[in-house]
Amino acid sequence: MRTISKKLNKEEIEAFGKEVDSLREEVMAKVGKEDADHIRFIYKTYRYTEVLGRGLIHFSFEPISFIAGTLLLSISKIINNMELGHNVLHGQYDWMNDPRFNSRTFEWDIVCNAHQWKFYHNYMHHTYTNVLNKDHDYGYNFTRLTEAQKWKPVHLTQPFTNMFLAMNFQWGIGAHGYRVEYLETPKKLRKKKTLKDYKALFFKKIELQLLKDYILFPALAGLNFPKVILGNMLANLIRNLWTYAVIFCGHFTENAESFTTDEIVGETKAQWYLRQLKGSSNLDGNNLFYTMTGHLSHQIEHHMFPDMPAKRYREVAPRLKEICAKYGQHYNTGSFVKQFASVWKRIIAYSFPDHIATKVMGKRKKYLEPTVVLNQPSFQVSLSTEEKAVTLT
Amino acid sequence: MKTFPFIYNEPREFLSFLQPKEWANFFLGELNPRFSVTATKAKVIEVKEETSDTKTFVLKPNWLWKGFVSGQHVPVTVEIAGRRVTRFYSLSSHPNDRYLQITVKRQKGGLVSNFLNQNIKKGDILELGEASGEFVLPKDLPKELLFLAGGSGITPIHSILKDLQTLNYNGKVTLLYFVRSFEDIIFKSSFDLMQKNVSWLTVHYVFSDTPKEGYASGFLTKEILEKYVPNLKSSSVYVCGPSPMQTKALSLLEGLPIKSELFLLPGQNVTKVKKEGTVDVFLTLSHKTIQVKGERSLLEELEEQGIYPQSGCRMGICHTCVCKKQTGSITDLSNGETSQLGEENIQICVSRAESNLELEL
Repeated sequence: MRTISKKLNKEEIEAFGKEVDSLREEVMAKVGKEDADHIRFIYKTYRYTEVLGRGLIHFSFEPISFIAGTLLLSISKIINNMELGHNVLHGQYDWMNDPRFNSRTFEWDIVCNAHQWKFYHNYMHHTYTNVLNKDHDYGYNFTRLTEAQKWKPVHLTQPFTNMFLAMNFQWGIGAHGYRVEYLETPKKLRKKKTLKDYKALFFKKIELQLLKDYILFPALAGLNFPKVILGNMLANLIRNLWTYAVIFCGHFTENAESFTTDEIVGETKAQWYLRQLKGSSNLDGNNLFYTMTGHLSHQIEHHMFPDMPAKRYREVAPRLKEICAKYGQHYNTGSFVKQFASVWKRIIAYSFPDHIATKVMGKRKKYLEPTVVLNQPSFQVSLSTEEKAVTLT
Repeated sequence: MKTFPFIYNEPREFLSFLQPKEWANFFLGELNPRFSVTATKAKVIEVKEETSDTKTFVLKPNWLWKGFVSGQHVPVTVEIAGRRVTRFYSLSSHPNDRYLQITVKRQKGGLVSNFLNQNIKKGDILELGEASGEFVLPKDLPKELLFLAGGSGITPIHSILKDLQTLNYNGKVTLLYFVRSFEDIIFKSSFDLMQKNVSWLTVHYVFSDTPKEGYASGFLTKEILEKYVPNLKSSSVYVCGPSPMQTKALSLLEGLPIKSELFLLPGQNVTKVKKEGTVDVFLTLSHKTIQVKGERSLLEELEEQGIYPQSGCRMGICHTCVCKKQTGSITDLSNGETSQLGEENIQICVSRAESNLELEL
């Protein structure tokens, strides 16, 4: 495994884990009304944008309101999937005891069944992040992203298959879900449920979604139905492209590392934190951008604290960055354009055999120098020169 | 219908997937926070101070309110620090009154009772459930009635007495009200007025903490009963108050027709259990395994570890927290029975882990 972080010894890893833990505890203690108000505001925005969007599509007679309506509907679907759905399904708002925001009762506006998603994403992906053959999200079983995956001629097509996936991302997510659940069920127990049973859940959700977007709402528009079908298709397409872009930036940027199953045997919580850090990458932006990505712009924080209300990642990020700097760990972040470009560089590079791929990806610096000497007590780090002068005199 | 088999076979599920109720609730709620198609919400239209630590909240419910019978209680849900919490309170008003009212005494360490007393003001919205409870008058009214109340246990009795008044009752009623001091008497003026208007009611106040001249003091004893209730043998008895008083009453009044209502604070119904070691609880839907001690209810022990399943009354009444137990054994705290090992639905607020468990959570 290549790494551009400092290699830590056992004690250092545990100390790192402890600092991350105390950061988590401190922030979780603050969770309360502010977070409840935030998710209710998000819920409200999602409802209003959907009503306005659909309304504009239905009752438009010229292109401007049709475009506005389609954009509003896309925004609504993005909010529903990202800041609302993704975070609620992680159980971030279970403490509110409100069925609207409870991971047990929530279902989202996407062809992926929420229950299946919780299995392969919340459990498999978040537990075995970037572990090859265990994290099914790593390349979604068809994209080669590291030398550890054996090259096959079929990988030459992966730039095109990925473009296809981007446009139909919700279908990818949905179809991925039921297979993972089947594959991860121990062979002995598979008798209870066949692949067909898992598939049925997915097909049911597909049916519900298709009927809603392409039959029910168009029918309500009467003779205007082709316009509504087109509007819904475009809204779904925009949502798909956006979520694909954001999600692929989370783990497949140039410097995001992958792991093997041997590496995680007997892993401690602190080591798990470290793996989440090395395997994830962030996006810089403003608050609106953060909300529209469902705070997956803070993938590192999200992977360390998946059940923390997502808006809190904004205040966690700078402090986590400090901790990482202190331990000489690479904190992978960059602008959306830069990160997304590096994802595509990687997708294209690894579509070729290793000798070409490594040439494109280049050799990286093995370790970073820690910015702070570890043995120093932390209070000295935080003292400014002025304060030092005061304490000395 | 081969093209759309699921919608054809389960049209209802498709309808509910479109969330018609959620949409309606959302827009009605935007118009007026009291409006809803699924939740009984009530606006606080007046807050009356009964004593220094007790307040009465007069409530105007929305159209979903189905009414109640004197003596019944209702689940009240409030949001505290972003979190919805439910507790049961007796309705202290009469069913014929224009508005509902609940009377809440601050309990030491009580989350909701303190919140209501401190924070709820005119104009706020409370969420109610359906009224329920067996602490009500029978169809054929008994000739003689004895009411034993302790502290805030007076609230359902106040409603029942008002009911007797409207029914033109012509028997005999004795109310023994155990309360800390004269200042702590709830509904004093209401009882004074009632005693003036009807001939069948006698009220005796007994002070447990601060004695007052002309009144009895102490706790419930055989002597006090004999002193104030001459025709004890032929009375139907209603008891509502703290649990020591109830236990005492039940032992003193053995053999009499007795109805009692005991309101426990969440967690109070747990018989203290000390255990060595922990048991594993595997949550099948979230794929987490956690260790619990099995000393308190599963709900409390899960919440302690940052897992918040949906919950409501926390005393086994409302069934909000029901979940499927796939394997393992629990003890039902409401009746002390230990369950079988197999699959069954349990209420995690009144279940204590006995062995390793698998829960569908």
